[in-house]
Amino acid sequence: MSTFGGIRHSPSTFTSSPASTTLFRRLVWEGTVPLEIRVDSKELPANSNRGLECYFLQAPRVSYLPLLISEIKRFLQDVVFDDEAARTMKEEDWWFESEEGHLLKWHWPIGLIYDNHTTLATSRPGASASSRPQAVPLRLTLHLASPPTDRLLLAPSAEACKQAFMGQLKEADFLRWGNTKRMTGLRKAEQDGMWEGIKEHNFDDYWRVASKVTPTTLPARPGSPPAAQSSSMHTRPPSADPQGTPDKDSAYSVRSVPIRLYLPEGPVLQDLAPPVLEDGGWSLPSIISAQSRDPRISLLLMHLLTTASCYYKGTPNTLADLLSLHLPLLFPAPGPGASPTLAYALLQGVVTPAEAELAWLGALPSINQDVWIHPTVLRAVDMVTSLRVTVALMAGMQ
Amino acid sequence: MALRPDVPHSPPSLVGGLDSVVDASLAEGLAALESYKKKDTVKVVVRFKAVGNAPIMKQNFFRVTVSNRFQAVIQFLRKELGWKAGEPLFTYINLAFSPAPDDTISNLYRKSFATDGHLIVNYSTTAAWG
Repeated sequence: MSTFGGIRHSPSTFTSSPASTTLFRRLVWEGTVPLEIRVDSKELPANSNRGLECYFLQAPRVSYLPLLISEIKRFLQDVVFDDEAARTMKEEDWWFESEEGHLLKWHWPIGLIYDNHTTLATSRPGASASSRPQAVPLRLTLHLASPPTDRLLLAPSAEACKQAFMGQLKEADFLRWGNTKRMTGLRKAEQDGMWEGIKEHNFDDYWRVASKVTPTTLPARPGSPPAAQSSSMHTRPPSADPQGTPDKDSAYSVRSVPIRLYLPEGPVLQDLAPPVLEDGGWSLPSIISAQSRDPRISLLLMHLLTTASCYYKGTPNTLADLLSLHLPLLFPAPGPGASPTLAYALLQGVVTPAEAELAWLGALPSINQDVWIHPTVLRAVDMVTSLRVTVALMAGMQ
Repeated sequence: MALRPDVPHSPPSLVGGLDSVVDASLAEGLAALESYKKKDTVKVVVRFKAVGNAPIMKQNFFRVTVSNRFQAVIQFLRKELGWKAGEPLFTYINLAFSPAPDDTISNLYRKSFATDGHLIVNYSTTAAWG
């Protein structure tokens, strides 16, 4: 974790980032979900230890199903299959299905697959509006043969998964800057190093390289006072000097924030998402307006927004702006006589305040930021509970 | 791209306390989601551009409904080129990135920053931007 007494602006230096951004990146990185993997009983080879063909694991959200295969294979070899079956198993024919019979895609991060499942579960008519998604294991069925290759879209190999991941990195790079120079500027060893970081689930290895291609959340102006320490609750007064040029690596300078909206049964929506709205003039940090909100929520908001409080030309584009632009039926624009909000946004399994700035959200991952839309009114008590968990996690990390 | 709704809007009933308000809101939310599922019928022109030794097509632009996934474009391209499933075919948007096959033409068009109704798809026999 880097300190930032001063702000360096050498062209290749992305490494300085406010401590709280690194904290949130680490929180996201360390998120896991419970999986229960069961071999299709009709496909169990003869002489298998029936009754034991179920494997439980806590998988990282930022990993991929092909990367779990060697672990599952070892389990099946050691515990379930007899020698003959263990010898002849062909993991290139393996594929996964959800409990409901949905084919699981190799190139979707495990967290995305899990959130897909919980969103669907809570979006059915009759789903209790008061039940928050519980951390129940996601039940997967492992098939050992006859993969539906036309629908799987990718081979199950780790290599194909790596290529897909690299593609997503380049896509995000292109969205942010209009070119892929930052990705193609990496040496091959560095690019491979990013994938190794994912495979080995090593935060430092991954972000050592990823920080070169992922925007910073540093203040947009060079020479401005350093962003407040993450433990500080004080706002930083805006500078009176409007002459500063924006930090060219800043999340607030990107052309478009790579962010995708997932509706429970589709579609997946993605459009250009500018980090700052061109509404002219200079604006104060949005943290000022956050102070007038519910005090239970402002705690998290202030933490989230403190590091984003920079001096912009125009107002920062928020998740609320994006949602009411693209999903006005669910997120009507606020104002007198406005209809109520009918859904909430879930990001990495965490309820996300609609006031969160897109630029900051988009700087957490290197690839697209995936946001799930849940069609239910989140009651105030659920919101506070969810935030308390997040705040406790943050406090524990410091 | 605005999604035109035709969901009747009625405020949730307040009779029965908070739970019924919440349930009514859920019903309204689900109805909204149904309307968002409706497939966009807008079309854009996909313009195929050969890279390297890849053969140039006689007819290289086609109108595609934006709700299609990119996978459909890949399959269409293979058919037009007469290439079987095993033969290597690499596709890129704007010579920049290789899209996820389940991404929609709608999203890719917007992500390519195109403004003229054309989505440029480059195709190659080798991984050009590895």
